[in-house]
Amino acid sequence: MTHSLHRHGTVENLREDYVVFAIAAQTVNAKGKAPVFGEFFKIVNKYKPVFCGDMKTGNVLAVGLDAIADGHQDNSIVHAVYTDKNTVAQVLNELRQADLGLSIVVSGLLDHVDTCCGQAGLKRHTIEHSLGIHGNTKRLPKDQVLEISTMCGHGMVAFNLITHMVDEIKAGKKTPVQAADELAAQCHCGIVNPARAAKLLQLMAG
Amino acid sequence: MIIDKETCIGCQMCQPYCPMGSISYQSAEGKCAIDLDECVECGICLRPQVCPTGALQQQELDEMRNLRRTFSNPLVPHKTTSVPGRGTEEMKTNDVTGRFKRGHAGVAVELGRPGTGTRFRDVEKVAMAVAPIGVTFEQQNPVTALMVDTATGKMQDAILGEKVLSAIVEFDVVIEKLEAALTAIKNVAPQLDTVFSLDLASRMSEDNTVPTADLARKVGFIPSYNGKTNVGLGRPLAKGV
Repeated sequence: MTHSLHRHGTVENLREDYVVFAIAAQTVNAKGKAPVFGEFFKIVNKYKPVFCGDMKTGNVLAVGLDAIADGHQDNSIVHAVYTDKNTVAQVLNELRQADLGLSIVVSGLLDHVDTCCGQAGLKRHTIEHSLGIHGNTKRLPKDQVLEISTMCGHGMVAFNLITHMVDEIKAGKKTPVQAADELAAQCHCGIVNPARAAKLLQLMAG
Repeated sequence: MIIDKETCIGCQMCQPYCPMGSISYQSAEGKCAIDLDECVECGICLRPQVCPTGALQQQELDEMRNLRRTFSNPLVPHKTTSVPGRGTEEMKTNDVTGRFKRGHAGVAVELGRPGTGTRFRDVEKVAMAVAPIGVTFEQQNPVTALMVDTATGKMQDAILGEKVLSAIVEFDVVIEKLEAALTAIKNVAPQLDTVFSLDLASRMSEDNTVPTADLARKVGFIPSYNGKTNVGLGRPLAKGV
């Protein structure tokens, strides 16, 4: 159902993890929206996201900012990741003023996002809760691996790649930041939070 | 995806990138190989271009391999949604579409997430568990298109053994039936070989409260402290929701 809903983590580390994204309804208002996604992308980049991307072109590490800015389509989904709620409130306030007509969704701590909406003069329209992971949970790795892998809801960041990156850090072949960027680059949409991932990798590598 | 035996040098650089763990090193040959029954054709191993010799190759896909690909590679849009990925717009555009109205809830069972993949036989088990409750499967969701009967949730027999990175059983249900639907999901969970992530979407009440969270708790599901919020900036706003 969603690529950004099930971000596993503690309240403490999710305080540094918010995704703001824009989408148009394909059956209602998508026609001609490609340049409007460009306006959205300019606004979110003013606030220096730690990661960004467009589902139609790729993430900033893989294709670069210019390719994303030049590649918006009517069925784009454009994302930006931030590490604090105050910035999210500012982004929402500017998006409200810009009145782009795109649907705007924020993933993050629900109470914090509610506060951000209030500060930006917005009222929440629809909420989606994660009710957790169920079924044959014996197949899951440890929590810290899940905390990184679930930042990419499409499953592009393999459990094995995360543990491989931890080994690379332990072996001195990569810094936590380099390893986090390698993981984030796999997330086509650009919704992994490399800043949070680097901290988690550092903890895992001891 | 396949690995060309002639050009593979057995360096194993590609192995950690596979989310299904389907790439193995064949020590007798000194080469890597892909278990095609486990490979979901997501293309993740190919995109980072880690293979130094170009041995990873996208083979021609038949109908069933293409089915795996469309449910596993988020760069491939489904015909039913026009949107890349395995889900739909769901609550993301609810301010404009009015898909989930007050008095209703949106539920999604994301099988294979995170990181385990799913066979369609598990997808069918979930769909058949919730169908008798009287849910309305999302017509634009590609899983719904693979059902032979949306009244029962029965899926095409030919696809049941196929494995994909994830597949989502998505439906709308009136709030009076939400508890029964969540109970059915809870009861079918121990019968699954895979995991699933569970989503619950609802239109906010006028007083800015969430009308469904307590119903989920009643069944034993704990709503997480994080989630998604549609902030209502889409235009034109849907009427009557």
